[in-house]
Amino acid sequence: MARIVIMGGGVSGHTTATFAKKWLGKDHEVVVVTPNSQWNWIPSNIWVGVGQMSKKDVVFPLAPVYKKAGIDFRQALAVSIHPEGNANSNSPYIVIESTKEDNKGEREELTYDYLVNATGPKLNFDATPGLGNGEGQMGTNTVSVCTADHAVHANEELQKIFDKAKTGARQKILVGTGHGMCTCQGAAFEYIFNIEHEAKKAGVRDNLDIKWISNESFLGDFGMGGLHMKVGGYAVSSKLFAESLYAERNVDWIIGAHTSKVEAGKIEYELLDGTMHEETFDFAMLIPPFAGVGLTAVAKDGSDMSSELFLPNGFMKVDAKYDAGAYENWKASDWPVTYQNPSYDNIFAAGIAFAPPHLISKPMSSPNGTPINPTPPRTGMPAGIIGKAVAHSVCDMITKGKDVELHKASMAEMGAACVASAGKGILDGSAAAMTVYPVVPDFEKYPGTGRDTDHTFGEIGLAGHWIKHILHHMFIYKAKLKPGWTLIPE
Amino acid sequence: MKKEELNFGKSDQFNLTMIPGKFAKGMRTCKIWQLFRFAVINVKMLVVVAKSH
Repeated sequence: MARIVIMGGGVSGHTTATFAKKWLGKDHEVVVVTPNSQWNWIPSNIWVGVGQMSKKDVVFPLAPVYKKAGIDFRQALAVSIHPEGNANSNSPYIVIESTKEDNKGEREELTYDYLVNATGPKLNFDATPGLGNGEGQMGTNTVSVCTADHAVHANEELQKIFDKAKTGARQKILVGTGHGMCTCQGAAFEYIFNIEHEAKKAGVRDNLDIKWISNESFLGDFGMGGLHMKVGGYAVSSKLFAESLYAERNVDWIIGAHTSKVEAGKIEYELLDGTMHEETFDFAMLIPPFAGVGLTAVAKDGSDMSSELFLPNGFMKVDAKYDAGAYENWKASDWPVTYQNPSYDNIFAAGIAFAPPHLISKPMSSPNGTPINPTPPRTGMPAGIIGKAVAHSVCDMITKGKDVELHKASMAEMGAACVASAGKGILDGSAAAMTVYPVVPDFEKYPGTGRDTDHTFGEIGLAGHWIKHILHHMFIYKAKLKPGWTLIPE
Repeated sequence: MKKEELNFGKSDQFNLTMIPGKFAKGMRTCKIWQLFRFAVINVKMLVVVAKSH
């Protein structure tokens, strides 16, 4: 009997675990280690952040779902990986630390035959002075929509701003990225336009100055270098439509910015030209940069071997080309295909946890040497597809032998369907529905745009909102493993 | 007064982009048109999903 241990119960890890259990049945063990007791449909956190959904609309407890599926659920934080065992045993294991109230902090060793790192990102608030509290958590100067609890708090603060605006006091709202190397510009985009939509409904829009700040060199980059779509017979850059929406909705923008410091009511930022500026605010939502969660790797003799498994940013090495060099040399084939760790064939990384070979967007830095460019997004669809492919590979290795051909899921050969909400409302909402194919541009296969413009498109309207709301219900249904869940594609 | 054109005057950034007129904005929430677009967008997304699996 083999044991697969999956670290992380988010989109990618949950997908890996549930498919692995489905395919392996009772013959083998599937264990999920995650510090959270609840699963969160993160794309809807922005609606919690503006009071249009409550926390219970976007989370559900994992324990009953895993119990029903026959998956061993350990509510714990993974601390270290011991891929060669220790002095007493050759069996590889991880060390986990319980996050359950009744035995919080208790550590145990969990052996594995196969390990999947799907731990997602560390929300690295402390990377920007004043954005974090100095202890790894969000500070008090800004809000966030990265987690359901953050989003609940964000809405509480937002409603205070709306109340002040109702009295006639003009309020300044700032939304965007809190560091020069952030990703998730899409989530911030959704939040700023949902705030704007709610402000209009509340009758306070005229008393709000709403401004965007991000590390993108152009609006519409989204960490993917933007996209080109066909509109009215033209092939058009996403920049044009992104700028159009900001202008239409009277949202000013600052781009090419590295937020270098945050204080109460003020940020300092550096632009790509090297100049330093300040911006004041009454309410700010700034996405933190991501890093790996901080797992370490330990050799058999107890020495640290983290650099063998992880890049300095904490993300796990997989079958990617990490020495691709300058931007001019980047290729689609730099990107991983099987997500297998090159040093240990029984370790994989899925979702945000794998280390990308480099950016997707063009690298940029200021004359001071400050990198100011979005890092690559790993949205729900690619994260789910990668999780499923890794599950398939591990299951095949267990049932057919280690030399079996692994399943492939390169982001340069898969697309993504994204829906970016611009305001919630069944009759008056809107969202930008987009498809990108492939996610990572392949300029050899698609010279000029890097993507297949027959399958890359974007459109804003009520239909997009209906789709986003349906996807909310659909993916929560799927994650709860309700009847027919496997019929819903990642 | 074309309300939708006012924003062009608010900044250089806004002036150099495009802003939808009344018809384009109206079509975004026209239920019949959006029902049709709902079907079309779903087909486009399903094609990309199928190509990706």
